[in-house]
Amino acid sequence: MADHEASKINHDNHLLLDQPLLRLPYELLRKNFRSAHFTVEKESTTLNKLLKDTAKGSLDSKTSPEDVVKNLDTMIAKMRGMKRKLSTYANEETRLYKQLDARVAHLRELSDMHSVEDVKYEAWSRKRLDRLLVDYMLRHGYNTSAQALTNEREMHDLVDVETFLTMSNIRESLENGSVTEALAWCNDNKKELRKLQSNLEFLLRCQQYVELLRVNTQSKSVEAIAHAKKYLAPFQEQYPDEVREMTGLLAIRPTDNDLLPLKYRAWYSPDRWSKLAATFVEAHNKLLGLPTFPLLHTALSSGLSALKTPACHGTQKTTSSSQPGHSQTSMTTSVCPICSIELNELAKNVPYAHHSKSHLDNDLLCLPNGRVYGQAKLDEYAAKAGLPDGQVKDLVTGEVYSRVALKKVFA
Amino acid sequence: MTTQVTTMEALQKELDRLNRTPALSATVDKVDKIIEMLTSVKDQIVQSGMDTHVASMAITKTQNPIKSTFEKINDDLKGVTATQRKLGKMLDKHFPLKDLPSEHDAMADQEPLINRAISMHLLREGQFSVASTFIEETGDAASLEHVNAVIEGQEQANTSDNYDDEPMDEDDEDDEDQDEEEEEEEDEDEDEDEEEEEEDEDEVMSPLEGVLATGSGFQQLQSLSSLQSHELEAKFSQMYTILQDIKSKNLLSAIEWARSNSVELEARGSNLEFELSRLQYVWLFKGPAVNGLPDNEFNGTAGALLYARQNFWRFGNRYTGEIQQLANAQIYAPNLPESPYWKTFATETAFADVASSFTREFCSLLGLSAESPLHVAVTAGALALPLLIKYQQATRAKGTEWTTTNELAFETPLPERMLYHSIFVCPVSKEQTTETNPPMMIPCGHVLAKETLQRLLKGTRFKCPYCPAEGLEKDARRIMI
Repeated sequence: MADHEASKINHDNHLLLDQPLLRLPYELLRKNFRSAHFTVEKESTTLNKLLKDTAKGSLDSKTSPEDVVKNLDTMIAKMRGMKRKLSTYANEETRLYKQLDARVAHLRELSDMHSVEDVKYEAWSRKRLDRLLVDYMLRHGYNTSAQALTNEREMHDLVDVETFLTMSNIRESLENGSVTEALAWCNDNKKELRKLQSNLEFLLRCQQYVELLRVNTQSKSVEAIAHAKKYLAPFQEQYPDEVREMTGLLAIRPTDNDLLPLKYRAWYSPDRWSKLAATFVEAHNKLLGLPTFPLLHTALSSGLSALKTPACHGTQKTTSSSQPGHSQTSMTTSVCPICSIELNELAKNVPYAHHSKSHLDNDLLCLPNGRVYGQAKLDEYAAKAGLPDGQVKDLVTGEVYSRVALKKVFA
Repeated sequence: MTTQVTTMEALQKELDRLNRTPALSATVDKVDKIIEMLTSVKDQIVQSGMDTHVASMAITKTQNPIKSTFEKINDDLKGVTATQRKLGKMLDKHFPLKDLPSEHDAMADQEPLINRAISMHLLREGQFSVASTFIEETGDAASLEHVNAVIEGQEQANTSDNYDDEPMDEDDEDDEDQDEEEEEEEDEDEDEDEEEEEEDEDEVMSPLEGVLATGSGFQQLQSLSSLQSHELEAKFSQMYTILQDIKSKNLLSAIEWARSNSVELEARGSNLEFELSRLQYVWLFKGPAVNGLPDNEFNGTAGALLYARQNFWRFGNRYTGEIQQLANAQIYAPNLPESPYWKTFATETAFADVASSFTREFCSLLGLSAESPLHVAVTAGALALPLLIKYQQATRAKGTEWTTTNELAFETPLPERMLYHSIFVCPVSKEQTTETNPPMMIPCGHVLAKETLQRLLKGTRFKCPYCPAEGLEKDARRIMI
């Protein structure tokens, strides 16, 4: 039967929504390693050099024992700093591996289930929904809710609260007109951003420049020129047009806004900040291999369509829809989720599912009012309504008819 | 059932075997060693009374050990990165990345509606505190009043024992009053005869629908207003309280609810009220040893009989047979397991069963699906997604966007229980019938889509494609399947 087939869990394809679940900790492990590696490289070079210089100075009697001790103190302090940093990275590594283990174990649970009718699948699928909800909340910056749900469901290892909190802090700082945090992030991820050919850092530098010009004083203009030389000039080859526009901005005062050509005016526009925030989020997600939009969106647009039927937004009453002002019968399985208030509006603009085969009850009978029901349902409803033998009751409208008036339907 | 190893099983096995040493923590210990070495050099110099010779000797001698410790740290790092590379290969092998649809987000502009669906989902799951946090954070109903309502709701849920003096019923009455008011405003012309059954039926749907579903104006869409969410909240909190009671084998609150909604339930053809009362009888019948209720005249076989006398009259003739069975069981009381009524008195799953019927009826009276629609949709989404991706890959070249058509171009089979409506596919045109192309029954009882019928017409007559019968266009009638 086709239905049985549809209930089967296809293990190769059932975890499409869960790919980031394992990819993210892996990417974070790599990122964490890079940071650790960078720290070691930097500190070891500095320390070896200082050590060598101090030893040499001491041998040549240029450095007094007092200065040797002073340098040693510096070195010790540096190593303590390095130790602190490496401990943080080591803890992060432990955390990420623990997370990865927990996630693989969670995904592996599915291996024991073969049908979506399995009770265990219900619980697993609910957990997946909770994960997707947290992901959705975090991406929209509903951080308190995300944390509340995470705590409530005790699924800290299965969601990425920290990653998204960091992201939303940077995003918010951009929305509030500060580039500092975003620039620091760019710096941490320099190589990878270059690989992705992200223009984020360049845009941030441009914004800094624009902000200096916006102040519109002599001293700030000088600063702007210095800024351009230091931070924009290196991008000349990569973004020649934009760099030219930046220099062009120098010649025009921001107070003449109305007179500014459109493309210049855009640089001064306050919505630059929300665009920067969006650019940052995009780069961030790309860098960590996260999908561009919430997974809940992906799941919903596919699920709403798969469930939707032409009847869900029709004006006709059917047994599974739920327009107000009509009696419902409990003979039907349940109110259809697409017809339910929660999703009805949301599903309005998605396509409905394609069916190549009818899905109907057995032994259809047509009532004089044109409504068609399976015989079993009519019998059951008549019995429950306590009707005399020769009568049936319409499951939707409640009209009572004689059985003689029913017509067999061959569909 | 195949015993084939799934990719996740394989991945977990390999992950368990993955040698994770050295870990980054190994480097920390080595840095400690460097700090020790430096400190000891410093101590030597200080102890020598700042002797120049000691200073230069000590510091020179420490250079190589420190250098080699750094080399060891680098070896650790190499080990760490090698482990990670193995991990990466493992993931690529057992969980290779497959593209998700990423070009077009059909849900992009739907944040308020998605938020509303999430709020309602959280409420119906009984996650009242998360729900209130969410509603507040999304700004959908930011009011202190609401938060208070949530807390009250939780308190209600927690103190589910004293449902007797709960304000639940008052709530209900309040709701009804409101609905009546609304209705009066809406249909002022209508005769205000409240006894009319039609109006009763209207009321069934109203509490939520009236507030949530009337009109789709922007303001309505934007949010659950404080009042709306408050009302929803109260409803779900009531449902939750009753469910908790049923779980702890206390049916009184559920019976009370069913009784106060008996007209609506009966109209739905639901026998929930009777099912609940019957289970209550059975539960009392089993006596204090089983039900743990006080051993008095209201418990045991006598208590059950008393309960029946006081309550079963209201079911009239509808359940005569069942009620007789229940009463007859009194005779077999000492060894019920051997009586013909044993089945009726088995309670292993009875409480779970009535809990699920209760949920279904409760939600249905509110016009809501019994299962969380969000959960059903996401589960269906996960099932349909592979097909969608397959389709998208196949048509990417053509640039067709599946989200913008009326009907999906490919089948997304779902399990039986996720098919809520009857589907009629015209056997000739193979098209699903819709409101503009409805199913038509021709005199011989065969059904065709309207457009098919029109194509078959020769003048005003047509011949059935399935049997020798012929018919007139005017005799074909639209049916509702």
